[in-house]
Amino acid sequence: MSQVVYLLASIIETLLRLFPFPTKTGLIRIGNPDRTSPVLLTCNYHLTVLRVKRELKGMNAYLLIANSRGINVWCSATGGLLTNHDVISVLKTSGIEKLVDHRSVILPQLAATGIELRTILNKAGWRATFGPVYIKDIRAFLRLGKKSQRMSEVQFDIVQRLEMAAAWAFPMSVVSVPIMLPLWPQMLLPLILLIWGLSLLIFVSFPLYSRWLSPKGRRVGFILFDFRAGGYPLVLWGLFLAGLAAYFLLSGEPDWGLFLRWGIISLFILLLLSMDLMGSTPIYKSSLHEDRLFSVALDQHRCRGAGFCQDVCPRGCFKVDRSRHTATIQRVQSCVQCGACIVQCPFDALSFRSADGKVILPETIRKYKLNLMGKRVSEPC
Amino acid sequence: MPTITWFEIAEVPPGPIIFLQSEQQMSYVLMKTLESSPSRYDRGINLITLGRMSEVYDRLASHIKNGWNVIDIGCGTGAMALRAARHGARVVGIDVNPQMLEIASKRLQEMRLSGSVELREQGVAELSSEPTAQYDAATCSLVFSELTEDERVYTLLELRRLLKPGGLLLIASETIPSRFFRRLLYWLVRIPLVMLTYVLTQTSTSAVKNLPAMVGEAGFIVEEIRYSWLGDLTELVCRNPKSREKKR
Repeated sequence: MSQVVYLLASIIETLLRLFPFPTKTGLIRIGNPDRTSPVLLTCNYHLTVLRVKRELKGMNAYLLIANSRGINVWCSATGGLLTNHDVISVLKTSGIEKLVDHRSVILPQLAATGIELRTILNKAGWRATFGPVYIKDIRAFLRLGKKSQRMSEVQFDIVQRLEMAAAWAFPMSVVSVPIMLPLWPQMLLPLILLIWGLSLLIFVSFPLYSRWLSPKGRRVGFILFDFRAGGYPLVLWGLFLAGLAAYFLLSGEPDWGLFLRWGIISLFILLLLSMDLMGSTPIYKSSLHEDRLFSVALDQHRCRGAGFCQDVCPRGCFKVDRSRHTATIQRVQSCVQCGACIVQCPFDALSFRSADGKVILPETIRKYKLNLMGKRVSEPC
Repeated sequence: MPTITWFEIAEVPPGPIIFLQSEQQMSYVLMKTLESSPSRYDRGINLITLGRMSEVYDRLASHIKNGWNVIDIGCGTGAMALRAARHGARVVGIDVNPQMLEIASKRLQEMRLSGSVELREQGVAELSSEPTAQYDAATCSLVFSELTEDERVYTLLELRRLLKPGGLLLIASETIPSRFFRRLLYWLVRIPLVMLTYVLTQTSTSAVKNLPAMVGEAGFIVEEIRYSWLGDLTELVCRNPKSREKKR
C-alpha cells in the first residue's frame, strides 16, 4: 500500500513540481528511537518527507518536519520560507525536548542559505549541524560523523534531468488544452507530443551544451536568454512569423486563421525554449534572480579558515587550508550564487560583489531573502 | 441578538459565553499575497475585508486598559499594537517577518507611539526566557491561521504562562465555518482565492477549525465569541483563569 502511495505521489508531484505540496509538520518517529537517537530535520514538502522516511527505514531516529510552506529545502531556505524561526519553532513545539537527552540536530545542508547555526544555538539551545545534501548519504554521514566532498555537492544526473523535463512539459501541456481545443483540436496531440519531445531533448542533451550557458544572459519579461548571445529565440520567432505571413500573402488567398494557429503553436515552442533553464538546474542560478550578476568575494583579512564555507558549499568551490587558517575560492566558475557561504561565515569574510562595484553585505543576505521574482526586497516598496 | 443555531454545542468550552455576530468578512487567504509586499499589507487587508478589519481591531482593543502590559503575537505591521498603545498600554509586539516589523516601526514613529511599543523579531517558540505572569493581556490577530497545529497549542499554553491570572487573551482568526451550508459557500469563495494566491505567492494560510474548543482545551475561559456572517472570521475574548477557577 505504501508503495502505491509513494509511486502515485512521486508521479503527481514530479509532474506538478513547480507547485508546493505541504504536509503535516512536527515529529515523526523512525523505528524505535530512544533518548540518545539522532534527531534529523527536514522541510514539509510532501515528496521530500516521503523520500526521507523511505531512506531512513531500518534506522532508529527522530525526524522533525519544519514548516517550509510545502516547498523543498533549498528554495524555501533561499526564499525566506524556511527560517531560523521555523526551525526553532519545531524544536520547541514538537515535544522533542522531552524525548531526547542530547540537543543535537542534523539539518539538510541546502538549508544553509536560510538557517544560521549560531542563532539556533543561542535562541533554542540546540547544536545544529549541516548533514549531507542528499538523504541517501545520511547513514554514511552518521557512521563517519563527517561529510565527504561528494556528500556536500549537488548533482544533476539523468534521473533529475528527466524529472525536470516532466515538470516543464506537463503544465505546458495542460495550458495548451484549453487554447488548442477550440482553435485547432486535431493539432492538440501533436503539440503535446512536441512539448514533451522538446523538453526531454533539452534536458537529456543538457551536458552537451551546458558549457555555453551564461548567467550574464538577458531577460525580457518572461523570455529568458540563457545563452550569452541572447535574443535569438525572439529573432527566430520573428523570422518564422514573417516567413509564414509572406507565404500566405504570396499564396493569393491568405488564410489568417491558419496564420494565427501556427503563430500560437510557435509561441508555445518559443516559451518552452526560453523557460528558466538555468534556474531549473541545481548547478546554475536562475536567470530570474538578480544575484546571478554577483560573485562571491572573500576578504582575506577577515578569513580565519574556520571552514564553514567549505562545509555548506553545494558546488565545492572552497578550499580551506587548516594549517594556515585561510580559505580560497578555487572554482569560481562553478558558483551558483546561493549565498550559503556568506550566510554561514562567522567572521563576515564573504559578500556578494558585482563587476560594477555593487556589494551585498552578509547582514543583508541573512535578513532579506529572494522573493519569487528573484528580488531581495530590502527596501519597503 | 441573532440566534446562532449553527454553533455546535459540543464545541463549547465551559464558561459564560456571549454570542455575537458581526458583518461579513471575505477570505483572508489573500493576505498572503499582501505579505509578499508588506507595505501594501494594511491597505490590502482593509480592501479584501471591505474595511471591516479595522473595526475588528478596534473592538478587540477596546478591552485593553490604561497602564496594562500587553503582548501582541504576530504584530505584523502593527495595527493591533498601535491601538493597544493608544489605550495607554505598554506593548511588546513580536513577529517573525522583519519586513513587516520595519513597516510597523515606521508607522509607530509617525504616530509618536514608539515609546510605548517594543518590537522584536521573535516567534512564539522564542519566548521561553520571558518571566511568568507578566502581561495583563495578549492579542493574536490573524495569526493562528499562519501557525502549524503544534504551534497553535504551544502558543496557547505559553500565553497561559505569560498572562497574569485573570489576564485577557484577545483573538481574531480566520476560521472554517462550522455549519454545513456556510462551509460550502465558504469553500466556493475560498478555493478560487486559494488558487490565485498560490499562483502569486506559492503559499497559503490554513484556517482554524473549532477555535473556541482549542482555546478552551488550553485552559482559557472563553467569555465572548463573535462570528462573521459566513463564520470565516472569529473574534474571541478569553480570560486566563485565576487559580481557583482552574478546574472548571
